Amino acid sequence: MPNPAAQSTANPAEIDGRASQRWLKQHKALAGRLPLLTVLSGALAGGLLIGQALLLARIADGAMFGHQGLAELAPLLWAMLGLLLVRALLVRTTERLAFRSAAAVKLQLRDRLFRKLIRLGPAWLERQRSGELSHCLHEGIEALEAYYARYLPAVALSAFLPLAILALVLPVDWRSGLILLVTAPLIPFFMILIGKQAEQLNQQRWQQLGRMGGHFLDLIRGLTQLKLLGASRREIDTVAAISDRFRRDTLAVLRVAFLSSLALEFFATLSIALLAVTIGFRLYWGELDFATGLAVLLLAPEFYLPLRNLGTQYHARMAGVSAAQQMMTIMQAEPVEKASSSTTELAAIDTLELVNVHFAYEAEQSALKDIQLQIDRPGLYALVGPSGAGKSTLVDLLLRFIYPQQGSYRLNGTAVDKLALESIHSQLAWIPQQPQLFYGTVADNIALGNPEASAEEIEAAARQAGAAEFIRQLPEGYQTLLGEGGAGLSGGQRQRIALARAFLKQASLLILDEPTAHLDRVSEAQVQQAIQRYARDHIVLVVAHRLHTVRQAKRIWVLDGGRVIEQGDHRQLLNQQGLYARMLGATQEAVHA
Amino acid sequence: MPEQTISRRESLALLWRLLRLAKPHWRWMALGTLLSLLTLLANIGLLAISGWFLAAMAAAGLAGVTMNYFTPAGVIRFLAIVRTAGRYGERLVTHNATFKLLSELRVWFYRRLEPLAPAGLQGLRHGDLLSRLQADIDALDHFYLRVLLPGLVALVAVPLLLLVIANYDGPLALATGLALLLAGVLIPLWLGGATRAAGRATVRDGARLRAALIDGVQGLRELILYRAADRHAEQCRQFSESLADQQQRINHCAATALLASTLVVGLLVWAALWWLIPQVTSGTRPAVELVMLVLLVMASFEAVQPLPLALEQLSTTLAAARRLFDLADQPPLRPEPACPVELPNSHQLELVDLRFRYSPEQPPLLRGIDLQIEPGEKIALVGASGAGKSTLVQLLLGFWPLEAGQIRLGGQSIDRLPADRLRERFAVVSQHSHLFNATVADNLRLADPTASDEALQQACRAAGIHPLIASLPDGYQTYIGEGGRGLSGGQQRRLAIAQALLKPAPILILDEPTEGLDPITEREVGETLAQAMVDRTVILISHRPALLSHMDRVLLLEDGKLQAEGPHQTLLANTRYAELMHWF
Repeated sequence: MPNPAAQSTANPAEIDGRASQRWLKQHKALAGRLPLLTVLSGALAGGLLIGQALLLARIADGAMFGHQGLAELAPLLWAMLGLLLVRALLVRTTERLAFRSAAAVKLQLRDRLFRKLIRLGPAWLERQRSGELSHCLHEGIEALEAYYARYLPAVALSAFLPLAILALVLPVDWRSGLILLVTAPLIPFFMILIGKQAEQLNQQRWQQLGRMGGHFLDLIRGLTQLKLLGASRREIDTVAAISDRFRRDTLAVLRVAFLSSLALEFFATLSIALLAVTIGFRLYWGELDFATGLAVLLLAPEFYLPLRNLGTQYHARMAGVSAAQQMMTIMQAEPVEKASSSTTELAAIDTLELVNVHFAYEAEQSALKDIQLQIDRPGLYALVGPSGAGKSTLVDLLLRFIYPQQGSYRLNGTAVDKLALESIHSQLAWIPQQPQLFYGTVADNIALGNPEASAEEIEAAARQAGAAEFIRQLPEGYQTLLGEGGAGLSGGQRQRIALARAFLKQASLLILDEPTAHLDRVSEAQVQQAIQRYARDHIVLVVAHRLHTVRQAKRIWVLDGGRVIEQGDHRQLLNQQGLYARMLGATQEAVHA
Repeated sequence: MPEQTISRRESLALLWRLLRLAKPHWRWMALGTLLSLLTLLANIGLLAISGWFLAAMAAAGLAGVTMNYFTPAGVIRFLAIVRTAGRYGERLVTHNATFKLLSELRVWFYRRLEPLAPAGLQGLRHGDLLSRLQADIDALDHFYLRVLLPGLVALVAVPLLLLVIANYDGPLALATGLALLLAGVLIPLWLGGATRAAGRATVRDGARLRAALIDGVQGLRELILYRAADRHAEQCRQFSESLADQQQRINHCAATALLASTLVVGLLVWAALWWLIPQVTSGTRPAVELVMLVLLVMASFEAVQPLPLALEQLSTTLAAARRLFDLADQPPLRPEPACPVELPNSHQLELVDLRFRYSPEQPPLLRGIDLQIEPGEKIALVGASGAGKSTLVQLLLGFWPLEAGQIRLGGQSIDRLPADRLRERFAVVSQHSHLFNATVADNLRLADPTASDEALQQACRAAGIHPLIASLPDGYQTYIGEGGRGLSGGQQRRLAIAQALLKPAPILILDEPTEGLDPITEREVGETLAQAMVDRTVILISHRPALLSHMDRVLLLEDGKLQAEGPHQTLLANTRYAELMHWF
């Protein structure tokens, strides 16, 4: 196996940091006054620390050179204790406030993002990677915690505390103040200078580490395959070789990346040493009193501390900024089409009609061309075709998740854009290959669309879907929890729960995607029967590429390249000797040959 | 991660084992520790000596005496440089040690897992377990840098610092020692204990929230059609709130711990002043030592500053180590033969009264299979899903131990053959064939590392995928993405076929090679398979009549036994077989 690090690293995550940072700062407002309070409390704690240092210098001066004993110094010592107690409380308050402001932003952002996704709809979602979206909503939002709770307050404090210290030092000891004043800007300056490059390198380093982890996991995942190929022992050497190459590559990167912290360290440490030495000499020459000199020495590390903190919060910033990117994409995306403002209600669907319907995703070849489709009575209908023929697009169009660019779509004779979207959806049900079950009980899941349904109604729907029996056998029947940590159900059982869900809703148009794929024999028979029964007085449209499921259909549309190329029932289509017959032949001919 | 508490004894055992694994790199680790220690001491020394220097200079100035200021000024500059350079060197060396350790751990872990696959790694098929495995390995990667290093440094630095302080004042050293213990160990331990329950709840609520969000994204169509989207958003918000509540409980404890350690440092300095000032007043202690001692005490906390994080990381690391060791310590289900024999020349296969079950609690899956497959013969296994067809194939490959009976290759029981030699005889194409996140060529060469470019192309031509690969911008050097995601299902299957073609094995196993493909692609893949079958023994699992009709014999596997056999056409007269054919 090769070194995955060799994959193109030409694009080390070109993050448009500025826009994301702006966006993140705007959303600080979601926490109201909490961020301001955090900074105030942090600044106050910092101020008290300065006070403590001044008192300490005063006390030491008194004891050492003022020949003052405990009796004289006690008031100062008690004041110092007071400051300490208040500061400790403030430190705790700052910590709590920082958390609360981050939590407030996280909570509201997550809610807004999720609701925005709902408005963008499945057609938009489809074109994103679903794993990335949920990652963004969960881990992405969590990554903002450090940004709001640590990084932003650190930025504010890094502006305030050094200035406060400078303001204190300059009037009493301008020379030391000058040293601070000169070295302080050098730190950010060098950090920016070296940091630009280091930032990229640092990022590469994390990427490489991640890629290396991914590579190792890939090997473990494919261990059986490696064994089958007789390559599993050979790969031990590769693991070692790759790790070693990673080490050398990464160290080369780190040698430069660590320079930025070297510069920071260098200036902070050296200027403290410089301060100590110059103050020492002026004390010796009697140009400065000891209390002032010591106070400056004590304050010097505090002067650089916020700036150094800013450096350690670097990752918080990076993580926040990169998480914000995807959030911005979501928040700025526009829904496919404005929801219709119509309020006309749709009754149970008796007829469905597509005339000359044309649809294309943006800037791509058209996905559906000139579709004609008519259904005017209840029964089982089918849509077949090879993968990529446009079946899913057509289903999305029927479900009103996408809108045709040309042609008309009528339900009960009325053009759909004259109907309220909600009322169309209330007549529709759709069951995908792997129906989604949601966190909650079996009953909750069946009653997804009818939260007010009674237990009897739910059970009736389950019976109708052939699900009643296995539900009874679940540990807590209809009250069994599903989803995370809940009972695991087989594919067939999930599908029957989804059927029960659709039956309870009494959807007058039911669309099923490959209803019997992944099912064992018994489950398949049960699902088939349930569908057939429902089709007696509802319109049921089955999408399939396995053809034995569609034999009984009243009418079959064969889709290829976005067009309906054949239609008719099973027998008629066989006689046409077209694609349907060929597809059937590919699977079936030898059975009866 | 739900973490059971680990007993102290077990913790020590785990820690010891980790250290033993790290042993080969102890030099680098020791050097890193030394540099880290130097840097720390330089910084503490810098502060304390600066304080002393100031006091001494002021005293000398007041008294009007001369003093040798070159030495301390030089020491201060020297310490500043040691600290800066030491920090840089330390970071490079410790990272180098980390990477060396990381490589060591991975190789070790891989070596231990390799004999277990696939029987011992069944549990890893689930995505969440696999991602936990990744998190665990990552946690071990940071063992040195985040746990061992700060621990060792504190262990050496604290006694040194206390010795120095004790040299001036015993009680002060004692108090400092106690305060360091509180700030570095006891307060973090209290924090760990106080937040354990909330930590577990956070994991639980976080998982619940993640599941709800994933459900919402994946099931958005359903939510909208059932007009349940707003309700779901509300539920997510509630889950999000309860997660935040748990996080807040942790935050409150952490804030209190912060308050406590701020107080510990402050109070120690304050108490030191009460203790030292009378000594100065009474003249028992030179005045210039006051500042130095106070600064020394204050700065010594730097030695324990990284300990809270290290302690937190330690419990994560130990829990991760335990899971990984548990996985790696399993004995292989099917041990290698004690005295292996040579691989026989013939590759006739013979199954004699073969019985098998996955575990003693489960009912037997195969109950007495007798079968003989001659070299070059092409047979197919047919049966309902769950009948044990794939299991039978896995048994041939020596992945599981038999309950009873024998499998013989060329007359020799496979139990006496080394497993990797046995598998040299088989090439396998299945719907689960794993493609690696590497180039096309690398994936192909797994089957034969010595294959020339021409050989790769030839195999791909036979598998009907050469034109596609040639049309890619990087040709055979194209990365195909995780799990071959860059390729369609049919293309992945063809690449797996090309792999099997490259492996010069006399027996070809095809486990549902066309499952999940649409009829047209299925037919094309079927045609390329015919190429692979030439001159080899073939064992096919499939329900596709088009494939079955090419086989010499079809065997019907039901209820753990072979119920019928014969060519496809003849078997169609068997009602059960015909039913199965019609079904699929």
